[in-house]
Amino acid sequence: MKAIKEIFIKGVIKDNPIFRQILGICSALAVTNLMMNSLVMGLGLMFVTGLSSFTVSMIRKFTPKHIRMMVQTLIISAFVIILDIFLKAYLPDMSKALGPYVGLIITNCIIMGRCEAYAQNNTPILSFFDGVTMGLGYTMILLFIAFFRELLGFGTVFGFQVMPESFTPWTLMIMPPGAFFMLGIVIWISKNLFKNDEGGVTNG
Amino acid sequence: MAKKKQILFPVLFMVVLTAIFTFVLATINEVTTDIISEQQELSIQKSIFYTFNISLEGLSDQEIQDKFEASFEKTKVNDRTYYTYTKENKVQGYAVQISGKGLWGTITGHVAFSPDHEKILGLNFISHSETPGLGGRIDEDEFKDQFRSITLDREPYFSYGTDIGGNVDAITGATLTSLAVRDILNGEIPKILEEAKKEGFYEGN
Repeated sequence: MKAIKEIFIKGVIKDNPIFRQILGICSALAVTNLMMNSLVMGLGLMFVTGLSSFTVSMIRKFTPKHIRMMVQTLIISAFVIILDIFLKAYLPDMSKALGPYVGLIITNCIIMGRCEAYAQNNTPILSFFDGVTMGLGYTMILLFIAFFRELLGFGTVFGFQVMPESFTPWTLMIMPPGAFFMLGIVIWISKNLFKNDEGGVTNG
Repeated sequence: MAKKKQILFPVLFMVVLTAIFTFVLATINEVTTDIISEQQELSIQKSIFYTFNISLEGLSDQEIQDKFEASFEKTKVNDRTYYTYTKENKVQGYAVQISGKGLWGTITGHVAFSPDHEKILGLNFISHSETPGLGGRIDEDEFKDQFRSITLDREPYFSYGTDIGGNVDAITGATLTSLAVRDILNGEIPKILEEAKKEGFYEGN
């Protein structure tokens, strides 16, 4: 139980993939113009990271060390394809909105990073939990960024109009530069909010 | 002493693992193929209903499919699919797919025209990669509904409000996408109509 709690705090705050490890930035920049897209992307990533870590951990005792990366890539891509098929079959609108980004989850560094850093040396259940938590940390930041981008760029939250009619949308926020600004601000805030308690040099 | 790298085991391991995953993926793919193609078909059907301004409010997916089967006839001629809309034994119009170059990528949609080829009945887009919030607003009804019942009695068929005699309005802030849509329509529609006439999708003089 203690281990799980520790994983949780690490995944969401201390080792948050986005603002601490600066991993998975590409998709974080790309899909955060709408909250709905971010949510589905985040759930997709949680699914893939969790199950990939679980599978990698399951076969870690048999996997020859020097081909482990190849094995991890195979496992990750299999889960991503499953996710892609699922979205196409049951959530076609979402599949259309996310476009190529679902396939690109394969290249999301968070997943392989967790497989290498955690799943390789831990039990399947803990690895699964670690993967899901890392995905959760990612999803939370994505939703945070998307909230401001969608609110200022479209005047909506999850598609519901919240800004008054007279509000002029800041189109810049939904274009790529808006993502960079928001991400920079998030990293800046988090650096000041969660001081590095190890006292060492931060490598963000 | 460093252990000598094994060769046989890693190769076998990889082969077995790949086989397992391929099998799993192939199974999932097989199971969902029908659902996926049905979903794609459904999105085309919805788009065509939209071009004819037929409301589908409150209808389930199954009802939409049935309604489509009942009112449309699909004919494939030279790589182009014509959807003939018949109501009360009378042809109400034809719809075809239209596509062309947008600002960032291909814009694909459907356009419906009247049996006598004198009017464009409606326009809808099914896929594009324009900037969300700017060019992406071609998806909004406010833009698309402008293309209902436009008489094709002039060349070019469409021009925007700022041009002399403009008959539709462009999207503010998305000039290039608007122009791309106009050019696709002005370029493709004459070709489509000519071909449709030749193939018999025409009722008039």
